[in-house]
Amino acid sequence: MFWKSSPKLRPNGWDALVVLAVIALAAGSALAVWRGAGTARGPGTVIVTIDGREADRFPLSNLLEAPRTYSNNGYTLELVYGLRGMENPPPDHREPFGEAGVRAAWADCPTQDCVRTGLITRGGQSIVCLPARIIVQLTGTGAEDGGGVDAVLG
Amino acid sequence: MRRLISITLALPLLLSLTACFGPPVDPDTVQESIQVIAMDTAMVISTYGKRSTAAAYASEDLIRELESQLSRTEEESAVFRLNGTGTLELGEKAEDLFPLLEAADRYCRETGGAFDITVAPVVAAWGFAGGAEYRVPGKAELQKLLELVDGTAVKVTDRTAALAPGQSIDLGGIAKGYAADRLTDLFREYEIPRAMATLGGNVLVWGNRPDGTPWRVGVQDPARPQEQNAFVGVLLLENAFAVTSGGYQRYFEESGKTYHHIIDPATGFPADSGLTSVTVVADCAGDSDLPGTMCDAFSTALFVMGEERALDFWRNWGGNPFELVLVTEDGRVAVTGGLAEKFDFDTESGYVLEVIS
Amino acid sequence: MKLTAKQLTVCALLTAMALALSYLENLFPLALAIPIPGVKLGLANIVTVFALYALGPAQALMILTARCLLGAMFAGNMNALLFSLLGGVAAMLVMTGLVRLGKLSVYGVSVGGAAAHNCGQTAAAVLTLGSAAPLYYLPVLLAVSLATGAVTGLAAACLFQALGHTNLHHLIKE
Repeated sequence: MFWKSSPKLRPNGWDALVVLAVIALAAGSALAVWRGAGTARGPGTVIVTIDGREADRFPLSNLLEAPRTYSNNGYTLELVYGLRGMENPPPDHREPFGEAGVRAAWADCPTQDCVRTGLITRGGQSIVCLPARIIVQLTGTGAEDGGGVDAVLG
Repeated sequence: MRRLISITLALPLLLSLTACFGPPVDPDTVQESIQVIAMDTAMVISTYGKRSTAAAYASEDLIRELESQLSRTEEESAVFRLNGTGTLELGEKAEDLFPLLEAADRYCRETGGAFDITVAPVVAAWGFAGGAEYRVPGKAELQKLLELVDGTAVKVTDRTAALAPGQSIDLGGIAKGYAADRLTDLFREYEIPRAMATLGGNVLVWGNRPDGTPWRVGVQDPARPQEQNAFVGVLLLENAFAVTSGGYQRYFEESGKTYHHIIDPATGFPADSGLTSVTVVADCAGDSDLPGTMCDAFSTALFVMGEERALDFWRNWGGNPFELVLVTEDGRVAVTGGLAEKFDFDTESGYVLEVIS
Repeated sequence: MKLTAKQLTVCALLTAMALALSYLENLFPLALAIPIPGVKLGLANIVTVFALYALGPAQALMILTARCLLGAMFAGNMNALLFSLLGGVAAMLVMTGLVRLGKLSVYGVSVGGAAAHNCGQTAAAVLTLGSAAPLYYLPVLLAVSLATGAVTGLAAACLFQALGHTNLHHLIKE
C-alpha cells in the first residue's frame, strides 16, 4: 500500500448511497425553494423571445447576480436589473422594496429603441428590439397589484 | 451488481437533464404566448385553454399569410402588384385584399376622406413609409402628390381592383385591425375561451382574464410616450377591440418643429387638430362587419378630424357602435358615454376627465 | 507541518496541474448547455481527489488554498476567491469524511465532493449578494453535480489505475 488511503476504483453500493443522498438533498431543496418562489418573490418572471421562440425565462431577481446578454440577427443587447429612480441598484437590494424591473443597458443595434424604452417594471410590459428580433417580456404579479395592465395602447 | 450500480450512476445524468426544465408550471396559468414581428411592429398573442398552443401557432401563420398579401414593400404581395400595375385580378394570394379594399372605400366615404389609403405617396414623401429618411417635402411637390389622393377613385368589383393612374395605396392603417378581426374568427374556430393580442397599437381582448375580471388595457399618456407606466387611464374590457392613434408614436423634428406620421389627406401635412391621441373601442361579439378594421381606420380618421368633428361623427354614427377616448393638447381626456363605466381614469395623470353623452 | 523537498515539489506540481485544469475547463463552457451561473465541470477537483488519497487531507488543503488564491489572482478577480474557496473547502471537508469512511470508491467521493462544492458556492453567492435568490439554483446545481462528480470520479479512477504501474509512490512515500 503506497497511497495514504488506498482508493477503490470500482463503484460500489456505498457510492449509490451517496448518490441517493445528493438526490434527496436536491429534491428537498427544490421543494423548499421552488414551492415558496411564487409567493415570496416580487415582480415575477422575465421572458426573452428570440425570433418568435422563447429563448430564456428566469426570475427577475436573477439579474441582480449578473446582467445577461442576448444575440440574434447580428445584434446584441444586454439586460440589467433596474430600480425606479436609481441608476445602479445596490447589489443587496431585495424585492419587493422599490419598483424593480428590467431594462436594456446597451445594444449595438442602429435603432436603440430597446435602450430608449427604459425600465419596465409591470407584468405585461415588454422591451422590443426589432433589428435583433428579440422581445423581453415581464410577467407575473404586475397585473394583480391594481395599477398594472395586461396590455398598453399607444 | 455492477449493472445495478451503473444504472444508479446513469440515473442522475437523466435526472440532471430533467432538472434543467425548472419548476413545474401551475396548471391554472397554462397559456400559449407567441411573438410575431410583422407589419412593421411587434405582436404578442396569448391564448388560453386546451387548444391554446395550436391556436397560437395558427395565429402566427394567419398573420404571416396576411402580411404576404397586404405588405406594401414585399414584392410578391397583392398590394405591391396592385401598386405596380394599377390593376389586380382576384386570385390566389389576394383573397384578403378585396374585402379590405371594399372596407377602405366605405370608411373613406363615411369619414369624408379623413381616412384614405391613397395618401400613401404623400406619406412616403415625408419619409414615413419605412426605411426612408424623414424630410419635409416642398409645397409644389405636395400639391402634385395631393392631386392623386382620392380613395373613392379606387374601383373594386367582385373580380378586379383598379387604381386611378399614378395612385398607390398603403393598407398600414387598417391591416392590423383586419388581422385582429381574422384572429377572432380563428379563436372561435379553436374554441379559445380567453385570449389577448397586441398588434402594435391595436389590442384585441377575447373573453376575460383568468381571474374572471375584465382585461386591463392601459391608454398611454401621449405627453409621456417613453414612460412605461404613464397612462391617462385604464380600460376594463372584455371581448373588445381597442386601437389608439397618436402623433407621439412616430415623428421627427426639423428646424425646431415636430412633424408626426398621421398625414391629413386634405392638406398633405401632419394632422394638427388639437388632439394628441384617439382611442376607438368596439365590441367583437356578434356578427358586426369587421369591427377591428373599423376601429383601426376610425382611430386615424378621427385624429385627423379633431375633437369637435370626431364627437359629431360619433353622435351621428348609425353603424356598428364604437366608443372613444380622446386626449387633447390642452390637457383633457374626453370619454364617450358607453365607456364611462369601463374607463379607470388616472386622477394623478394631470388631465381633466370629461364624459361625453 | 514540515514538508520534505520532494513533498513540496509534488504539491507545487499538483497545484500547477489544478490551475491548468481550471483554465482548461473554460474551454468547455458547460453553462452554454445549462444556462445557470456557477455550472462547471470541476476538473480541478480531480487533483483534489488525487491529493486527498495520495498525500492526505493536510497537503490536499494546502494545494487547494494555493490553487484558489493563484486562480483568483491570475483572473484578477478577488470576488471569485470567496466562491472558489468556500466551494473548495466544503468539497474538501465532505470528501475527507467520505474517504475516512473507507467504504466508498472514488466515484462516490467525487460525487459527494461536487455536491458539497456547489453548496459552498451557493453559500458564497448568498453571502456576497445578500439575497436568497441564488438558492433558487441549488436544486439544479445539485442535480448537475451528480453528473460532473461522476465524470471527475471516472477521470480520477483512470488516473489511479495509470499511476499504479509507475513508481511515483517512491516520491511520495517518505
